[in-house]
Amino acid sequence: MGRRRFLLIPAASLALGGCVSTRQVADVQFEPPQGNYSLIVMRPDVQVGSVTTGGLVEPRAEWTEQARANLLRALSQQQAGRGGRTMIAETRGSVRGVDPETIADLERLHNAVGNSIALHKYYPGNELPTKRRGIDWTLGEDAVKLGRTTGMDYALFLYAQDSFASTGRVALQVLGIAGCFIGFCAPQGGGGQVAYASLVDLRSGDVVWFNVLQTSSQLPGLRFGDIRTPEGSAQMVERLLGRMKAGRDVRNRR
Amino acid sequence: MTMNALNRRALLGGLGCACCAGLVGTAEARIPPASMKPLIQPGYRPTETDEKGMWQQMERVEQEIAGSNLLIKDQALTKYLGGLVERVGGPAAKDMRVYLAHVPEFNAFMAPTGFMVVFSGLLTRMRDEAQLSGVIAHEAGHFLRRHHIRGWRDLRRKSDAFSVLAMGAGVGGAAGGVYLGDAVQLAQMGTILSLLAYSRELEAEADAMGLRLIAEAGYDPIAMPNTWQQLIEEVEASARMRRKRPRRRLSLFETHPAPESRMVDLRVSAQEVRAATGEAARGRDRYLAAIGKHRTMLLDDQVKLNDPGASLYIVENLAKDGWNGLLRFYEAEVWRLRGEKGDDARAAQGYAAAIGYGDAPPEAWRNHGYALLKTGRRDEGKAALGRYLAMAPKASDAAMVRYSLAQ
Repeated sequence: MGRRRFLLIPAASLALGGCVSTRQVADVQFEPPQGNYSLIVMRPDVQVGSVTTGGLVEPRAEWTEQARANLLRALSQQQAGRGGRTMIAETRGSVRGVDPETIADLERLHNAVGNSIALHKYYPGNELPTKRRGIDWTLGEDAVKLGRTTGMDYALFLYAQDSFASTGRVALQVLGIAGCFIGFCAPQGGGGQVAYASLVDLRSGDVVWFNVLQTSSQLPGLRFGDIRTPEGSAQMVERLLGRMKAGRDVRNRR
Repeated sequence: MTMNALNRRALLGGLGCACCAGLVGTAEARIPPASMKPLIQPGYRPTETDEKGMWQQMERVEQEIAGSNLLIKDQALTKYLGGLVERVGGPAAKDMRVYLAHVPEFNAFMAPTGFMVVFSGLLTRMRDEAQLSGVIAHEAGHFLRRHHIRGWRDLRRKSDAFSVLAMGAGVGGAAGGVYLGDAVQLAQMGTILSLLAYSRELEAEADAMGLRLIAEAGYDPIAMPNTWQQLIEEVEASARMRRKRPRRRLSLFETHPAPESRMVDLRVSAQEVRAATGEAARGRDRYLAAIGKHRTMLLDDQVKLNDPGASLYIVENLAKDGWNGLLRFYEAEVWRLRGEKGDDARAAQGYAAAIGYGDAPPEAWRNHGYALLKTGRRDEGKAALGRYLAMAPKASDAAMVRYSLAQ
C-alpha cells in the first residue's frame, strides 16, 4: 500500500495549469506586409466545440458561427491597422474571375505544403538538413496566377479551433486536481485553442510566414480568451498575427 | 481498514465487471426487416444542439468531397446513381446526394447529412442493379435510422461514464489506500467492446433497413446476401492465390458484423421479405446500360491491383451471367500480369478466347497477336496485330505495333 502511494505522488509534481504558446517561422527575406497592401483570406476554417465529460470535443454550430464572424471581423480590423485591405473568400465560388476548381486545387496544394511545414518545422526530429534556415516552401505558379487574376498581394490560410469544458468536464477537472491532496493526481485537459496561419506572397508564390498558436489549460475555469466574443477573437488574432516578425536576414541587416 | 479496503475494491471491481457485462452482453440477434422504420421525415433538418454541430462540421467535408479530383464526373453515370438513391431512399429519397469516387475498392459510406460516397470498385463487382441498390439502400439505412448521431451519443455517454468511473476509482482508491487500476482497465476494455457492439448493431439495422427498402422498390432482396457471399468468396480466392489463409478476425473487436453472419442473417431476412412481396427484379439490363461502357476502366483498375486471386474471382463472378470478349480479355490480363510459370500460356489462351467474341476490345487482338508471334505463328500473329491497328489506329502504342509488323 505504501509502495503504491510512493508511485502516485510524483504525479502530483506534474506541472499543473496551462499555457499559451505561439511559434512563428518565416522566410529569411520576409518583411511583414505594411502600408498599402491587399490580402485574400482563403475559406477560413473555424470550429468551436464543447468538451464532454469523457473528453470528446462536440462541435457546436452556433458557437462556431459566432466565432467565425468575430474572428474575421477582428482580422480585417487588425490588417487595416497595418494598412492592409482584406478580402474574405467565404466559399470556393466567391473569388471573382477564378473558378472554384482552381481555388480547390490551390487549397489542396496548400494543405500538403502546410502539413509539410508543420512536420518539418514543428515536430522535433524531423528537421530537413537543406531547409534549416527560415522556411523555404512555395505554392509556385498557381499562387502567382491567383495574384495576377485577383490583384491581391497576399493570401492567408487560416484555421482556428476553440473548445470549452462542459460542466461535467469541469467537475472532473476539479476532482482530478483535488485528488492530488490524497495522492491521486489526475489533471484533466479542459478546453483549449489551436490555430494556425500561413501567409503566401502572391508575387512569388512562396509561403513566407507561418505561425501556430496553442492554448491549453488543466485548471478548471482558467481560460485564455474565448473566440466566441469580439474581445477573445481580437486576442487570438493579435497572438496569431499581431507580432509578425521579419525574416532572419532582414533582422540581421537592421 | 483492511476490511474496508477490501470491500471497496470488491465494490468497484464488481462495478467494472457489471459495466462490461451490462454493455457487452447483448446478443447480436438478427433484426427483422419489418421492424425497421425510418426515423426521419422528408426534408429532415437537425434541431438538437449536438446534431446541428455535427451537420455544420459536415458541410465543409461535403464541399471537400464534391470538389475532389478523385470523383468520376460522368454525368450519365452520376445521374443513374442519383436515380437509384431516389428509388431506394425511402422518405429521404429527395434529401440524399451521391458521389462516385474513383477508388477500386469494395466500399461505400454515408455521411450524417445525407451525402453518400460510392467507390468505383463497387460498380466493378455488382452483377445487377438489385445488388448495387442493396448497397446504396444499406447506406441510406444509416441516414434513415439516424445512425451517426445515435453512434455519437452512445460514444459520449459511455466515455462520460467511463471517465467518471475511472476518476472515482482513482480518487476513491487513493483515499481508501487501494490500487484499482486493474478494475479501471477492465472497465475501459468493457467500454470499448460495448462501443463496438453498438456499432455492429447499427450495421445490422442498416442491413435490415436496406433489405426492406430494395424489396419495396421492387428488387429481389436475395441480391443483398449474394453480395456478401461474393465478398467472402473473393477474400478467400485472393488468399488462396497468395497461398495464405483468409484473414479471420474476432468479431468482438470489429465495427462491422462478420460478413458470414451478415450473409446468413440477410438470407433469412430476404426469404422473409420475398414471401411478402412476390414478384421482384434484378434490373440487369438497366444496370449494364448504365455501367457497360465504364467496365473497361473498372476492370482495368482491378487487374492492376496485383491481386490476381480477387481479380480472377471478380471476372468469373461477372461471367456467371455469360462470358464476353471483355471478360475473357481481363481474365487473360490477370494471368499475364501475374507472370508466373505457365501464366503466359494461360494468358494466350484467354486472348484467343476473347477475340472469338464480337465485343473483344482492340487490346485483346494486340495481345493475341504478340502471343502468336512468340510461339512462331508469324502470319496469324501479324494478322491479329493488323486487326488491332485497324480498330485502334490512334492508340498510343500504334507506332510500336507497326514496327513489330515491319520485322
